[in-house]
Amino acid sequence: MGKRKVTALEKVEVDFVNLQLKIRSDPSAYEPEFDNQYQQYLSQREIFLGDTTSDTNTIKQFHDLVDLISHVADCYREKLADFPDDLKAILTKNHAVLAPELREKIVGSLGLLRRKNVIDSTSLLTTLFPVLVDTPSKSLRALLFSKIMSDLRGSNSKTTNHRLNRTIQNVLYELVVKDRTSPKAIWAVKLTRELWKRQVWTDARPVDVMKEACLADNEKVVVGGVRFFLGGDKEREEIEDDESDDEVDLAKFRHQLGINKKSKKKAKSYQQAVSKVKKQERKKHKPHPLNFSALHLLHDPQDFAEKLFQKHLLNTKTKLTLDSKLLVLQLVTRLVGLHKLTIVSLYSWFIKHLTPKQQSVTSFLAALAQGTHNLVPPDVIEPLLIKIANEFISEAAAAEVAAAGLNAIREICVRQPLAMNETLLQDLVRYKKSKDKGTMMAAKGLLSLYREVGAELLQKKDRGKDATIGLKSGSMKQQRFGEEQVGEIEGLELLAEWKEGERKRKRAEKGLPEDMGSDEEEEAEEESDGWEVASLESSDSGGWINVSSDSEDEGPPTKKRRESAGEDSESVEDSKTGDEEKEGGAFSELATTTILTPADHLKLQELRMEASLDKALNGNRPSKKKQDAIDRHADDALTAEQIEAPARLRKMTKEERVALAKEGKPGREEHKSTQAIRKSKKEAAGKSTSNKEKQRGKNMLMTLGKAKMKQKRSLVATQKVLRGHIDRAKKGGRRSNF
Amino acid sequence: MSKITVAGVRQNVSELLEYSLETKKRNFLETVELQIGLKNYDPQRDKRFSGTIKLPSVPRPNMSICILGDQFDIDRAKNGGVDAMSSDDLKKLNKNKKLIKKLARKYDAFIASESLIKMIPRILGPGLSKAGKFPTPVGHNDDLSGRITEVKSTIKFQLKKVLCLGVAVGNVSMTQEQLVANIMLAINYLVSLLKKGWQNVGSLTIKATMSPPKRLY
Repeated sequence: MGKRKVTALEKVEVDFVNLQLKIRSDPSAYEPEFDNQYQQYLSQREIFLGDTTSDTNTIKQFHDLVDLISHVADCYREKLADFPDDLKAILTKNHAVLAPELREKIVGSLGLLRRKNVIDSTSLLTTLFPVLVDTPSKSLRALLFSKIMSDLRGSNSKTTNHRLNRTIQNVLYELVVKDRTSPKAIWAVKLTRELWKRQVWTDARPVDVMKEACLADNEKVVVGGVRFFLGGDKEREEIEDDESDDEVDLAKFRHQLGINKKSKKKAKSYQQAVSKVKKQERKKHKPHPLNFSALHLLHDPQDFAEKLFQKHLLNTKTKLTLDSKLLVLQLVTRLVGLHKLTIVSLYSWFIKHLTPKQQSVTSFLAALAQGTHNLVPPDVIEPLLIKIANEFISEAAAAEVAAAGLNAIREICVRQPLAMNETLLQDLVRYKKSKDKGTMMAAKGLLSLYREVGAELLQKKDRGKDATIGLKSGSMKQQRFGEEQVGEIEGLELLAEWKEGERKRKRAEKGLPEDMGSDEEEEAEEESDGWEVASLESSDSGGWINVSSDSEDEGPPTKKRRESAGEDSESVEDSKTGDEEKEGGAFSELATTTILTPADHLKLQELRMEASLDKALNGNRPSKKKQDAIDRHADDALTAEQIEAPARLRKMTKEERVALAKEGKPGREEHKSTQAIRKSKKEAAGKSTSNKEKQRGKNMLMTLGKAKMKQKRSLVATQKVLRGHIDRAKKGGRRSNF
Repeated sequence: MSKITVAGVRQNVSELLEYSLETKKRNFLETVELQIGLKNYDPQRDKRFSGTIKLPSVPRPNMSICILGDQFDIDRAKNGGVDAMSSDDLKKLNKNKKLIKKLARKYDAFIASESLIKMIPRILGPGLSKAGKFPTPVGHNDDLSGRITEVKSTIKFQLKKVLCLGVAVGNVSMTQEQLVANIMLAINYLVSLLKKGWQNVGSLTIKATMSPPKRLY
């Protein structure tokens, strides 16, 4: 009895697979069969909807029917017009009570229908997403999440599907905004973050979703949103790096192909490598996608930062843990520093947290420094500096504490030097004599900072040579509050000088007098100059003609310039027209009358470098630290590690030393000889073995016969063999390759 | 276009001036704008550049400026015929966002005396810096009118959410020489700001307010 049943079931299963194949090969001929199955599906569905907790047999049957119909759905589009809606309805209404396999089958079938273009992405996603948010089943959530992701990525792969993106983004936005306390919004955060990471969504709308998530009441959602702003862009960069990392060395591949055994497999893998390289090439030439960081795409950063601060930090009723609070604080201060926002109450809020006993105080210090910028009123910062100095920096305090305090003060003062007062600074600078290295370095850092930005505040003996000279000559002035540095083309006067020198040298070479000469000649000369250097570059800058003077328009003024230049090559003041000279004597003629070519820019950089080197040789050398400070951009975040930096300066513990030593060693999972490791490495690189190695590895049994024969050889035969060996060696082996 | 020449710039400028002064003269002073399109620029990796530079001649002489000052500066401003406000006037705005926005919109730039400028964020809140019009300081010893021309002739390159930017570099009442000098300086400065120099420049266009654009590069 039991046996019979099993065969019947098997038969049904075989039928489904066969039927599917047959229908697909000839839809019209098998229409009656299909109709039959469809009717069965419809009746099953009725039963099923009446009682979802039916036994496994019926579930299995229904499962198979759904599978069959969705596989052939593209053959009978009219007949199956409401099939997708049926599936959607079943999933949406009964996803909680359905059997897991059936549930997954329905999700899979919907995906299949999407791939067959029976339904569109929007309807699929709007069905799946609510289920994802509602369902308590972890496995279903994982499945749905991956389906939604793959569909969104798929529909955005060729061109951005703006309409779909907008719909989904609206759904996500609604989800976040509608109920601020619910944890469901976490799915909006997860989805947005993933799509942002993969550069599917790069515009301002997903940023808006995240902004709202940050202002939610649920801690998880808030933390998700905040983390997105703090790390989302880094993630995106990393994933891009990963993708571009695995580059194929085609030349190596080809070389190996010539040496190793040829096989179809190898040839195929070569083809694949070639196509991969081609794809990468194409990718390189594509115009760069516009990826602004999320922090820059925020619509109204001032408003956002204020709200965040009010809601999560200033409000005493917030239930956030310290860690999440710190994250929010980091985001707020980052925004303040980046967009130069004004939140005056932020700074007074800090006061109560600036004690050495405060948990993770270095993060607070880093946040404070990060949230300072040159438009913060100095009198707001000053009490904070005094508080840090009082709490952290004293002879009695632990060395790390003092160093952290000094570092924090320096980082704050880098951003707002005006906040420091004379007595405090002179007090702090005295720690440069401290016995602890960390404290000493931090104090010296502060000192060197103020030598540049505010030497007046220092004692005379501390100012150093450059600052003293600068103060005396008046070239060094402390910037006033609200003053913006007016930019200039750095090193332009050097370039002008150099050009003048070059011109003179060329004239001298040709035996012409230095100052005179026809315009045309010079023009031609300089033209060739621009060409030469431009052609050295790989730029597409084609034809650069550096016409420093246009002969018909500018005859008289250039001559005038040349005369003055002849007298004093250093004066590159604008002498072109009277009124211009009056208005701005400092405008270099070079920048206002010529276009600087790529070659010029290169030279400019070179000259700038030389000049800074010269300066360094005369005075103090440019420290590595200073270079680091320059490299660090205002856009980058300040971390607690930078405040704690002196931790690196103390002696390492034994564990740290061991870890450091281990770092450089090759990975050695199992105990193996170096030889064996080397060999396996060679093998992994795709290199073949040498003859010697082959000989060594030869099966012993195969060698036995020859060894026996050798023993039985006559004396003559042995002699013959040996002679032959010597001869062969002389002519370079069997291949005679000398 | 693969290259930019001085002669080309000169010609374009003269065409532009001819159009705006003769072909179709308008009833107001047209501003000449330099529009820049960038390429091969990754806003996230290359970070964003911004910079200010002072041009040889004032591009927009009609810029309206307001002095926020103490009594001394207000008197000076009145002598010079410039609008001025005292700290009491500012306090009357009462941190009202709408009023401050209105104030920021009314003027193109602000200058504040040194004694007052530190109070500005407290008195006015974020309104002015939000509009990008945070005042520049002026001391009692500084020459006020000189300061005003300096503010007027300083232009700012700043990249916002798109890869193109525009700056006012002059107006049609300027001579060709002045205009060319301003344009050249602006271009040279811009290129020196960019990480890869000319390789980052996609296009350069000049345009008067009501004229057709002229492409330089």
